[in-house]
Amino acid sequence: MIEIEHVRKAYRGRPALHDLSLHIPEGRIFGLLGPNGAGKTTLLRLIMGVLQPDAGRIRLFDGLAPGSPAATRQIGYMPQQLALYEGLTVRENVRFFGHMYGLDGAVLDARTTEVLERVELSERQESLSGTLSGGMMRRAMLASALVHQPRLLILDEPTAGVDPLLRLRFWDWFRRLASEGITLLVTTHHISEASRGDEVLFLREGSILEQGRPDELIRRYGAADLEAAFVQATRRAVPGDDASRTANGDPGGGDPPGGNPSTGQVPSGGVPA
Amino acid sequence: MKAIGWIAVRVILEIVRDRRTLAFFFLVPVLVMSLVYLALFKDETARVAVVARGAARLFVYDLERALEQEKDVVVVPVDIPDDVRDPKLIQADIEDALRKGQADGVLYFEESLLADRFSGKRGTLHLYLEGSRPTLTGLVASAVGDASDDLAASLPVVIDSDCSAKCANSVNVKPLQIDKHYLYGSEDYRLIDFFLPVLLPFFVFFLTFILSNIAFQRERVRGTLERLLIAPLSLPQVVLGYMLGFLLFSIPQAAIVLVYLLALIGFPVSVAQVGDLCVITLLMLLIALLLGLLVSFAARNEFQAVQFIPLVILPQVFFSDMIWSIDRFAWPFRWFAMLLPLTHANIATRDVMLKHQHLWQTWPNLLALLAMFVAALLLLAWVGRRHRDMLG
Repeated sequence: MIEIEHVRKAYRGRPALHDLSLHIPEGRIFGLLGPNGAGKTTLLRLIMGVLQPDAGRIRLFDGLAPGSPAATRQIGYMPQQLALYEGLTVRENVRFFGHMYGLDGAVLDARTTEVLERVELSERQESLSGTLSGGMMRRAMLASALVHQPRLLILDEPTAGVDPLLRLRFWDWFRRLASEGITLLVTTHHISEASRGDEVLFLREGSILEQGRPDELIRRYGAADLEAAFVQATRRAVPGDDASRTANGDPGGGDPPGGNPSTGQVPSGGVPA
Repeated sequence: MKAIGWIAVRVILEIVRDRRTLAFFFLVPVLVMSLVYLALFKDETARVAVVARGAARLFVYDLERALEQEKDVVVVPVDIPDDVRDPKLIQADIEDALRKGQADGVLYFEESLLADRFSGKRGTLHLYLEGSRPTLTGLVASAVGDASDDLAASLPVVIDSDCSAKCANSVNVKPLQIDKHYLYGSEDYRLIDFFLPVLLPFFVFFLTFILSNIAFQRERVRGTLERLLIAPLSLPQVVLGYMLGFLLFSIPQAAIVLVYLLALIGFPVSVAQVGDLCVITLLMLLIALLLGLLVSFAARNEFQAVQFIPLVILPQVFFSDMIWSIDRFAWPFRWFAMLLPLTHANIATRDVMLKHQHLWQTWPNLLALLAMFVAALLLLAWVGRRHRDMLG
């Protein structure tokens, strides 16, 4: 599904990703974890074709280059921000993004209805997006990312600001999507919820720290949970590095210039439970 | 009470740390005021030329001296050969000189002036006025009126047959008759008729610029632009979609301004003139849209986007021939004015509305607007590509 070979990316000489190689198989939920500046957003943007790597090669869907029309049509994206048009209704928002992927007419109508049912927003489909709660807006964003039936769904902090119950509901939807053959690439600061994924990648300063099934990683580090495993993996990689530094300090890694000004979140990656 | 102080401190800290806001806040008013001062520190002066034939040439020197005594008037030469003596040809040459902008008014002494005065007539001066700028027309008419009174005093005394000796010794100086001929407009032409037409391109530019600037900035900040660019769409497609949407929205707005303008204006306007105005307005709409999008790329947030508004709008108010004639500016400011789209739109609008010119006759301004549209489009493509590379 996604083949990444020896990819490097730097911003004005500042390395963001170092010689990163990765294989992400189809129909899996793949969690990307790491503190701010670890290179998560850079990796996502390289996969989506918004950025070009300085070196190395990325191939999607059996050989397509990122950014090519054939590849982008098969990708659904849900950004961190509440990226909806507040002056449009929920249904209009979903239909608008469907139009952007070339959908129209009865097909678009049917798919819009289907994805709104999937995220349980049918009853609020005629509400203006600006009047929705944060959780509802996230559900509407998921619906609009799914309307064109992507094979790869990229979710950047999809549950940020979402209450715990709804967060569980989101992961139920993710699991169902994966069972339908969709590959999900999820970044999150909630490390505990990443353990619900099939595979997890720990990123730090643009390099892979660890990769594997959540239960394997927990076992490997003899940790109580994935969060503790992440902290131990970080300490092992950088002797003397403590949890607070991982949690609060920007290690100088690789968000692009401008970073992610909208989030303002403190990474939870290094905070011990 | 302390909380109020801390809120104030927080506001100041944020502004101080945003260098661009700081620069806009303090430099924009000083910059714009300096530009206006440097461009306009001399009062507007009207240019008057004097043309005389035959024995009437005798009075030219005195009249020119009298005119030079008048405030805000200068005497300038016009290019009319001496050997042209046919009054109709002279009139055509005078109108041509006015059309070319060589003078704002031309005073013409007919050959028969002296003979007329000797024969007891008042004698007639012909004042040809360019007429499109009421302030200059007023300056010329007033100066010529005063100067002709001085001249009349030096001319042979005209005494009516029924004038007594006492009359002849006192108010025996009959004023010269001044016949005014307007190249554009008429005596009924009001100051407001000069300003109203250019309010159309101004409002269209101002409102469309703000709308596109803020709306596109919101698209960037809330992340929907990123979502669009990740869809199988190119930035030019997104921008063209934006332009089309704004255009369809702005056209009714421009139509309302135009209809209201036509209702307020004090002279008849033909269908052809309205059509020409629509072309100029459409070009201004497109340029304002592109500039709005460009500025939204330059700003990091909506706060900064708003700060660009005075920087883009104010110079265009002061330097676009809207209030003050750019012909009176020192050359660097004249060149600066020519770089502003509103300058060309205003000149073209007045050419069409006040001078009754066809659109093709004001082609240099149309060409300039077209060139600015293309330049803004290319610049937007470059900025957009750069932005995409740095997305995030």
